[in-house]
Amino acid sequence: MRPIERDLLRFKEIVRGEVKKRAREFLTREELFGQVEGRLVSIPLPQLELPKIVYGEPLGEDLGLGGPGTESLGPAGHVPVAELELEEFLDLVGEALRLPRLRPKGEGEVTEEAFRYTTIARKGPRGLRHVRRTLKESLRRALITGEYRPDEPLLVPEREDLRYKAPRSKPRPHAQAVVLFALDVSGSMREEELRLVKTLSFWITLWIRRHFPRLERRYLLHDAEAWEVTEEEFFRAREGGGTRLSSALLLAEEILKPYPEAFYNRYLYHFSDGENWQGDTPVALEALRRLLPTLALYGYAQVQGPYGQGRFLEDLKEALGKEEGLATTEVRGKEDLPLALKRLLGG
Amino acid sequence: MRKELRRWAEILRERALAEGLSFPPVLFEEVGPEEMAMLAAYGGFPRRYSHWRFGSEYLRYRETYRYGLGRIYELVANTYPVHAYLLKGNTLLAQKLVMAHVYAHADFFHNNLAFKPIPKDMEAEMAHHAAFVEKAMERHGARSVEEFLDLALSLENLIDPHALYIQRQAGEDKEERPPDRLQVRPYLDPYVNPPPAPPKEAEEGASPIPLPPRPTRDILGFLARHAPLAPWQKGILEIIREESLYYVPQAATKILNEGWATYWHTRLLLPLLSPEEALEFAELQAGLLAPHGFNPYRLGYLLLKEVEERWDKGRFGPEYEALPLGERLTYERPTGLGLKQLFQVRTVHTDLSFLDSFLTPEFALRQRLLNPEDLPRFAEAKKALLFRLTNGGYPIVELVDANYGNRGELLLEHAYEGVELDLKKTQAVLENLYRLWGRPVHLKTVVGEKETLLSAGS
Repeated sequence: MRPIERDLLRFKEIVRGEVKKRAREFLTREELFGQVEGRLVSIPLPQLELPKIVYGEPLGEDLGLGGPGTESLGPAGHVPVAELELEEFLDLVGEALRLPRLRPKGEGEVTEEAFRYTTIARKGPRGLRHVRRTLKESLRRALITGEYRPDEPLLVPEREDLRYKAPRSKPRPHAQAVVLFALDVSGSMREEELRLVKTLSFWITLWIRRHFPRLERRYLLHDAEAWEVTEEEFFRAREGGGTRLSSALLLAEEILKPYPEAFYNRYLYHFSDGENWQGDTPVALEALRRLLPTLALYGYAQVQGPYGQGRFLEDLKEALGKEEGLATTEVRGKEDLPLALKRLLGG
Repeated sequence: MRKELRRWAEILRERALAEGLSFPPVLFEEVGPEEMAMLAAYGGFPRRYSHWRFGSEYLRYRETYRYGLGRIYELVANTYPVHAYLLKGNTLLAQKLVMAHVYAHADFFHNNLAFKPIPKDMEAEMAHHAAFVEKAMERHGARSVEEFLDLALSLENLIDPHALYIQRQAGEDKEERPPDRLQVRPYLDPYVNPPPAPPKEAEEGASPIPLPPRPTRDILGFLARHAPLAPWQKGILEIIREESLYYVPQAATKILNEGWATYWHTRLLLPLLSPEEALEFAELQAGLLAPHGFNPYRLGYLLLKEVEERWDKGRFGPEYEALPLGERLTYERPTGLGLKQLFQVRTVHTDLSFLDSFLTPEFALRQRLLNPEDLPRFAEAKKALLFRLTNGGYPIVELVDANYGNRGELLLEHAYEGVELDLKKTQAVLENLYRLWGRPVHLKTVVGEKETLLSAGS
């Protein structure tokens, strides 16, 4: 390994350590929201900067002459920025918060063509030229035609010698999942609580997608009635009437129908303040009893609103607490997020 | 290297020498982008000691190139012979431009006075340093050496930029150095010449010689001699100090050096361009001299062109200086002294004195560095710019007393000139100093226009 690679590895190791150390802080960093797969997450790491005695405010920057800041002059005067693949970043945060690994239930029905450059072709783009194979062909030809002279082993590949790396497609099964978020909008969810919901659903989505690249997402809102919405609508603050949690569960059953459990890992997340109409609770629990065995997880997060919170969480735990696939948590504020996230993912 | 390139290297070298440049042999090497990124991270050398910040820099350069956000066309190390690296895959014209540019850098290193005391075998020195650090890591553990390097690097600007010139006057610091010292590489010194015992807590009749005997900016050097550290730690302090000193003249002449190289690649190459190449040259030049932000190439080049023109047309001397601004622009007294003056500038100036001497309101107006309505503030703006070029843009800090309060504590003083320190970073550095020195450390500075003593460890 070249020495610089060693320095780079060490730097990355330090970065990973920092990311893990600050994992809890990242949970609420809104600029991370909206990151998509395959993208780089850019994390400024001022704590990795070697401190120096430097000036606070640069002098006269507003004047027309411009001039170098300490950045362009003094040696290495920039804040280290780590760029991590979102996947790697997630793994580090997941490791630090001890988020559980999700296991696919079935193989999934979808197969995907995965291209691998594993064969050799006689035609191809320049960039994929296989030098060794080309020279080998060239040598073979030179030996056959008697052009090869051991004392002056010069190989000039001709057109027919050229060899290229070529792709071969390989179908492979792909586990898939669907996640449905349900949000109770019956009056008591405000900006503050909505932000907690948004944070949780963002991380839940990322974490599930980390395990099931083929993830479909659906959203529904409910008060006494339930209706499906788009992702944007889901996160818009609004107020509604009374609460029937069962309405969400019944609609969820409908929405999830095109995703048979044999082929899909089905996740249902439900955010509510838990102030359900008393008469509705048995109905909701009944619906859930039917739904639960078909789900990978039913996550219920009871969010504390400005008027306290209801008792659905207790009722739920009492009735179904022993069931597999039930994940419950309470969220009162930002500080509850790490634990809530872990619980909701089945940890 | 390609034959064609080698031929051009020779052509350009001869042209440069014929025009009056003088430089040691220049070795060109073509390298790929990854290797270029490595060399850039290592400050122009193929081997440095192991530290993660080089990895961080390497990553930055590599990604910058990968995303097409910028490429390093060339790197030159001030060594004998001069080592210059060209980016593989550039067009022949780009390589020609870069080679002409490199010859001018080599001439600058060779002739500018700021570089006189700089050792020319730095490549070997850097490799020695690398080996020293490696050995320390083997013996004392990579992590503890790394931790110490982090600490030491946070002090790397606490040097006396003139230290290399001062060392020439032998015997001046007698009271600090015992006479029977063996001459060895500085980082080996603590092994060969064991240091005196560290200053102890106040005893009766404590050492009559104050430490340091006079205020010093060479804080790293002082610590390497007097801090209660293991020999390998002192060695590392010396290494950081030496490498830091090596880069001082480069930082202090960035504008002038890049301006000089740009001036010469233009001058050497323009007459040789074919019509097809002219357009590509113009494009490269436009990129290099783009007026985005602060561009040392642009400022240095334009100002040198200005000096050349002024001296060609006799626009200097008391008679010229006495003219009002408007008349200066048209004054003419042809002398043809331009090129001679440029060589003079290249030899004696650093950025600070260069801009101080030649950055005039006329120039600022002509190059639109300044709006006409800002003219009354020119002096102020120039002062601010010069201030930022002083001491590499770093605050000037001196060690005043190593037995402060008769308690063996350190007292540093910041030469406050109207700009406050970054208190958070300064405090972090003081904590590091405290860890090195083992006793409280203080820094006198000004905060909110009031004299303030920042402290760590007390």
